[in-house]
Amino acid sequence: MIYAEKQILIQEELLILNNLRALFWQRENALIVSDLHIGKSAHFRKHGIPISVNVQHNDLDRLSFLIAHYKVKKLIVVGDLFHAEVNSDMDVFKIWRDQRPNLEIILIKGNHDKLKDIVYDSFDIQCCKKELCLSPFKFIHEPKVKGNEFTICGHIHPGVSIKSKGRQRIKLPCFQVSHTQIILPAFSEFTGLAISKKQKSTSYYAFTQSSFFKF
Amino acid sequence: MSKVFQQSQGYKIIEDWMASKANSPFKFQEQTWTKYHNGFSGMVVAPTGFGKTFSVFLAVVIDYLNYPEKYKKGLKLLWVSPLRSLAKDLAKAMTIAVEEIGLDWEVAVRNGDTPTNIRRKQERLMPDVLIVTPETLHLLFSQKKNTRWFKTTKCVAVDEWHELIGNKRGILVELAMARLVKISEDIKIWGITATIGNLKEAGEVLIPYPELKTVMITAKEKKKIKVVTVLPDEVEVLPWAGHLGKSMASKIIPIIHENNTTLIFTNTRGQSELWYQIILEADPDLAGLLAIHHGSIDKKLRNWIEDNISEGNLKAVVCTSSLDLGVDFKPVDCVIQIGSAKGIARFMQRAGRSGHSPYEVSKIYLIPTHSLEIIEAAALREAVGERRVEAREPMVLTFDVMVQFMVTLAVGEGFKANEVYDLLLSTHAFSMLTDDEFAWAIQFITQGGNTLKSYEEFHKVEQDDNGIYRAKSRRISMLHRMNMGAIVSEAMLRVKFMSGGYIGMIEEYFVTKLKPNDSFVLAGRVLELVHIKDMTAFVRISKAKKAITPSWLGGRLPLTSYMSHFLRKKLSDSLNPGIRERELKFLHPLIARQSEFSHIPKEDEFLVEMINTKEGFHLFMYPFEGRLVHEVISALIAYRISKIKPLTFTIAMNDYGFELLSDQEIPINATNIGEILSDENLMDDVIASINAAEMASRKFRDIAVISGLVVQSMPGRNQNNKSLQSSSGLIFRVLDENEPNNLLLRQAYTEVFNQQLEEVRLKEAFKRINKSKLIIKESNTFTPLSFPIKVDSLRQSLSSEKLDKRIERIQKEVYKKNKK
Repeated sequence: MIYAEKQILIQEELLILNNLRALFWQRENALIVSDLHIGKSAHFRKHGIPISVNVQHNDLDRLSFLIAHYKVKKLIVVGDLFHAEVNSDMDVFKIWRDQRPNLEIILIKGNHDKLKDIVYDSFDIQCCKKELCLSPFKFIHEPKVKGNEFTICGHIHPGVSIKSKGRQRIKLPCFQVSHTQIILPAFSEFTGLAISKKQKSTSYYAFTQSSFFKF
Repeated sequence: MSKVFQQSQGYKIIEDWMASKANSPFKFQEQTWTKYHNGFSGMVVAPTGFGKTFSVFLAVVIDYLNYPEKYKKGLKLLWVSPLRSLAKDLAKAMTIAVEEIGLDWEVAVRNGDTPTNIRRKQERLMPDVLIVTPETLHLLFSQKKNTRWFKTTKCVAVDEWHELIGNKRGILVELAMARLVKISEDIKIWGITATIGNLKEAGEVLIPYPELKTVMITAKEKKKIKVVTVLPDEVEVLPWAGHLGKSMASKIIPIIHENNTTLIFTNTRGQSELWYQIILEADPDLAGLLAIHHGSIDKKLRNWIEDNISEGNLKAVVCTSSLDLGVDFKPVDCVIQIGSAKGIARFMQRAGRSGHSPYEVSKIYLIPTHSLEIIEAAALREAVGERRVEAREPMVLTFDVMVQFMVTLAVGEGFKANEVYDLLLSTHAFSMLTDDEFAWAIQFITQGGNTLKSYEEFHKVEQDDNGIYRAKSRRISMLHRMNMGAIVSEAMLRVKFMSGGYIGMIEEYFVTKLKPNDSFVLAGRVLELVHIKDMTAFVRISKAKKAITPSWLGGRLPLTSYMSHFLRKKLSDSLNPGIRERELKFLHPLIARQSEFSHIPKEDEFLVEMINTKEGFHLFMYPFEGRLVHEVISALIAYRISKIKPLTFTIAMNDYGFELLSDQEIPINATNIGEILSDENLMDDVIASINAAEMASRKFRDIAVISGLVVQSMPGRNQNNKSLQSSSGLIFRVLDENEPNNLLLRQAYTEVFNQQLEEVRLKEAFKRINKSKLIIKESNTFTPLSFPIKVDSLRQSLSSEKLDKRIERIQKEVYKKNKK
């Protein structure tokens, strides 16, 4: 699989941004992702909107690659692991999960994660209702404006918009990094982008299939 | 007229009834009645105000009076009208007629505004006459056991067919006709239309059924139109759009006062907001007598305005195409068009809004917003004189509407594949449908796509044991009904006062650029944004004097090809204007300057201007084909030049021409210009020069909504279906990756070629350019033709205050250079 990396130093920790839409934290051997929205394509199909199963397969293929590549021990999902109800996409995820019994999965629950506890148990997922603190970071789902702790979160599906000639515009997903938080791009490719106004104190690490651009 | 018919009882009753109102039928009305009596279907072509409604309506009434035994209880006449606002008045007029004639018919309206209890009542027993929109008719098709309602129908009338034929709502009508012909044995179809360039085709598109005898009835009566161009005090030889406007306000005020009620047409919603402010500033006494009306103003407010026009309480209304059609406002005796109307048909339609009763003259004043539009005024006058009206090209093979229709049938009574296939083939739009395409559509609605395995759990439509395709899930049926129709609106937010009360709608795109406390104008009021919640923008009245006027996307109308023909002709004439060409004579200083510093292109010439300024090297070309086509041509020319020498360009355009600006010399001269403008490899070069995928992705928005791939969010009730929200761009990408043969994707590209690139028009334009004499002129100052394009390009990058100063400076520089 083709990928690109970008190393950044935050709170004296080495973090690796990967354009396959994940963040790797070396010291903890942890892969941090957000907004997987597993079950979204099946949810659409159930409601008569044909979205291919391949969407789900592609997402999981990427996740498998990242886990193998970084020899990940711990997967931290900062919210929106499952999109809606239990459906056929989850069966696919179940098989995927069963193949990796040694992988620890921690979920910080997001606004979409409304399934019953037994569902998460059946996937052997540890759930945190609001937050997870692993010094020097706090993991939450929705970005917070205030607070002193450095947070890592998701939820908004950040993106940047690059204008080019003749009314054309390119939108790219990005990692949004400020001096108090990192907002991760949505892991699932079947998600939209929220383009926000650029702020001076924030760096935007946008990426394409082969490289990173910093704005 | 046949004696037998004239002596029939029905005819006599109607004749007496008309005589009792001191009226007599127009010839075309009598012709329609006779032809209907003889079993014909057909088209009535008549200007508004001559009783075209009564041509078809009374035909059915007469037939009923003559042969009551042929009519069963229930629906007799189905009336399809594109506008909801028309329905109420139509029903009123018909009800009065029915009562006076002494029939016990019930006339009713059914559309989105009809209360549920009335609908249920209608479903138990349909009224004798039902007035619907194309969308409501399809909604009826999505009900259980709907066939029984239409079995008794003898006639279906399609009103304002010219408004429907060129778009996807027209396809909805075509499909509905095909179904009605199948259900009711001896149904007749009658279209009612204003004059358009392709009447014969319009008739064939509506009624392509060999079993129906058809006829076209054209009214001899013509609306007299008086066109007056309001000239500014002096000619500005370097014109720029939007500048002349304010100084023209003083000329508008007296016109408003001279007449009872004036409709003031602008081309965009943004402009209407601006002009409402300008006119009020020019004459504060008009406060309370001046209203503003456009598609983004709350419906209740619009209804209030419409009522007050009818009652003659308003002196003037600033409006957009929102009042092009619709109810006939008796008090309106004057129309003002601000800026170019961009098309002959639209201009005549607007003129017709004044002086509504037959034989009255329609008065229309043209207010140019820059000097060059005065030429357009002259062109319009000639075109109106010749009654050369644009054609409305029907769309074909719109798979999105087809898929929607098939699901509609599945939600309703269910369908058999072969029957629907035959039905589709019988329409004009799908007469070229292939087996494969139909099979794809079936697969799309039953399995989701090509391979069953890729779409596990998908179920929308299923085939039951009897081979009938049905939508089984209640939720899917509900979702489908909510999403039906062929009108796709931009994502809109409702605008609401903090204290309650809706003002209108505004595009999400515009609102997201505002910060709280920013002021903007809507419905003629200056509002301050407080916050946005649940697809609603909460506002309060602002004290700010200056505010931003919202821009609504898609507000710009392109120049039609007929208009561009007349425009080129007039420009060519302008050096030697005829005695009666008041406009062209007035423009003499501008024309003379263009001629002196560059050239006035004759009809068989094509002008290229190369102008060098401090800013860089400008290349101007003037195809006069409208903004959309220029967008394509300019990209193409830039591409061809960059093959000679790699250059980057800034591109700007208006309806007359376009500009390429580079910081390096542009390698164009008399020897290679022919090659640059050649029509060889035209479409290949076009495709290479534009980003077709991006354009298709934009086109795909409507297609995705119509075909049910994207669930449309409704302002005010956004809480529903949140988990099903996605953007069409996302679906486009997913389909492109997983199902590249999807017909809906293909349709998006086809629409890009037909509508965005206007392939046919583009080819013709290049054919014409290639036959023309190419004239290259060099200059070191801007010319009257190039200046407005230059200003437009500045406008994109500068704020309005800076813009004014900048333009002044350029104008001064140009004058200085001339004096040397």
